Amino acid sequence: MTVTTQDQRRGVLDVAAIVAIAAAVLVAFATPPEATQGNVARLFNIHVPSILVAYLCFGLTLIGGTAYLVTRRLRFDHLAVAAAEVGVVFTGLTMLVGMIWAKPIWGVYWTWSARLILTAVMFFGYLGYLALRRAIDDPIARARRAAVFGIISIGIIPIVHFSVLWWRDVHQPPTLLRPDEMQIDGPLLAAFLAGLVASTLVAAALIVRRYRLAAREAELDSLLASADVPVAGDAVTAPTLDGAP
Amino acid sequence: MAEPLVLLRDVSVRIGATTILRRLDLSIAPGEVIGLFGGNGTGKTTLLRLLAAQLVPAAGTGVVLGVDLTGGDRVDLRRRVGMVGHTPALYAELTLAENITFAATVTGTDPRRGLDALGAVGLGQVIDRRASRCSFGMQRRAEFARELMLRPALLLLDEPHSALDAASTDLVGQLVDAVTGDGGGAVLVSHDRERIEKLSSRTVELVGGLLR
Amino acid sequence: MTIPSRQPLPLADAVQPGLRRQMMAVARRDLRRELRRGEVAWVTIPFGAVAVLAIPLAIGIDVPTLNRVGPGLYWVVVLLFGVLVTVRHTATEQGVAAVSARLGIDPAAAYLGAATASAVLLVVFEVAVGMIAVALYDIDPERWPWLLLVVPAVAVGLALLGTMAGSVAAGATATNLVPFLVVPLALPLLIGATAAFDAGLTQPGGILRWVLMLLLVDVAALVLGVLTARQLQETG
Repeated sequence: MTVTTQDQRRGVLDVAAIVAIAAAVLVAFATPPEATQGNVARLFNIHVPSILVAYLCFGLTLIGGTAYLVTRRLRFDHLAVAAAEVGVVFTGLTMLVGMIWAKPIWGVYWTWSARLILTAVMFFGYLGYLALRRAIDDPIARARRAAVFGIISIGIIPIVHFSVLWWRDVHQPPTLLRPDEMQIDGPLLAAFLAGLVASTLVAAALIVRRYRLAAREAELDSLLASADVPVAGDAVTAPTLDGAP
Repeated sequence: MAEPLVLLRDVSVRIGATTILRRLDLSIAPGEVIGLFGGNGTGKTTLLRLLAAQLVPAAGTGVVLGVDLTGGDRVDLRRRVGMVGHTPALYAELTLAENITFAATVTGTDPRRGLDALGAVGLGQVIDRRASRCSFGMQRRAEFARELMLRPALLLLDEPHSALDAASTDLVGQLVDAVTGDGGGAVLVSHDRERIEKLSSRTVELVGGLLR
Repeated sequence: MTIPSRQPLPLADAVQPGLRRQMMAVARRDLRRELRRGEVAWVTIPFGAVAVLAIPLAIGIDVPTLNRVGPGLYWVVVLLFGVLVTVRHTATEQGVAAVSARLGIDPAAAYLGAATASAVLLVVFEVAVGMIAVALYDIDPERWPWLLLVVPAVAVGLALLGTMAGSVAAGATATNLVPFLVVPLALPLLIGATAAFDAGLTQPGGILRWVLMLLLVDVAALVLGVLTARQLQETG
């Protein structure tokens, strides 16, 4: 098998992602523990970059879906699904890491802050997007409906965001140690940036792989349709009950 | 020569990952009635749904009544293509008259023409009966009445004779005549060769996703 | 090969009626069908009533507590069970999809008509389940005038979102997909309705912004639904 330049480029991205993870871990543990929270604060090097990357992914899903509706080229649908899947994983990771952080610091896994609720809504919203895709067989119908649902969701999410913000004004949660009150100094900033670079590269590598997979599936699909494979009806043969007892 | 009502070139149709029709060509001229045969699962109904703008070709070009099946105004096309399929396309909770009146209202047709048509197909006495309480054959006839009212330019009938009693089998021919008399065309799918051949100007058979 | 141009068609003499006429025909059709099926009256409303009845059994029968959480629980039931009103006949009927496809109804009219019928049924659902909630949870009836605004606003929003999700998921193989798609997006309706109810009690000026938010959801769903209706129809 020949290695194409495309494969090589992808290989570079994979290697870069792995190196970036290793570097981020090293930098994170080379820095001193944060003043008030100690070692637990290191989780922020995963937590915050993850959600930033997830936003980026959902942005790509919107772009992919819209571009599909305009151009009707399935490659944009592949981009949309690849980004959505990776975005859901990173949103889930954000929530998981956040909960692990919150338990020792806040004493609870979950607090009803506007940001948390919105993140959860986004997680379930895009899980719905993926469930919708799974439930539709036809690639064209799937691409179109998923694109439409993606656009509807994005249209409503700002309203969800503001409603939750206002709601939180009414139900003021107990004031606790908040992440934005953390002191960020030089070494901690370096660790955070290393985490951001690593997360972005991992997401990019995953999106590229998932995109290629979707493209291969579509390729296989169209090969099956265009080649001289028998059509579905040929599989039905005449009954052979004559002479049966 | 008049422009064809239907022109399919190299059309493939897939449902999900399954290819049903492959590189199929078909042309239907005004006034033509095509009898379409083929074994179980060969894609006869799929071909009708394609012509009714309910499916999109996966490859090739298709033009029906001047509308491109891939890029044209398919919603508008659907109003001009008549289809009576396997499953009765009637609202079960509504009476026959209500079903017809609804179809008339949303298409901008005079509902009185529909009620006359219900009489013409022999359902004049039962127009206030709910579709769910009508037999399959009666529902069939009610659908014929709808098509008589809407006068489509292309009529697609899937197994039109099934469920019709002996007295009403002539209805199929009358409906087809009404459409072709106006310069329209029809496709009749059936396993009943003898009856369909009498009504058709040409017959084709679907084998291996292709027309013969 | 020459592609024939669009033919003048003497056959279909009809002129397609306007959007409003089609929409009203679809709404009337849906309401009449529901009137005869009675699914909302005989299934969804009793189901909602059972939910309202079941919650106190789970959280304990303490009248002051129930009185305090009652309105919130009521709106949760409206959100989760109200969605079922909007999907009442999308799941099963092949024939119905066939009629809509055959008649070439304007997709925007089909969307608005179906949503109108669902909104009417949702108001009925909200009132019926609301009366049961008031009785069971001893909710203070002094707050009721606000509901004249809130109940229809929630009904319209939920109907529009539910109808939109119904057509997004049409033909999908997962049966409970629509509620799952709708509920996260409909959270502002829940928050708005609940908060309006609280604000109406304590700070009469505060209710306005919640009602406005409900209307904002309604308008957003209306605009998005009309804009995407054709895209969804076209998938066939």
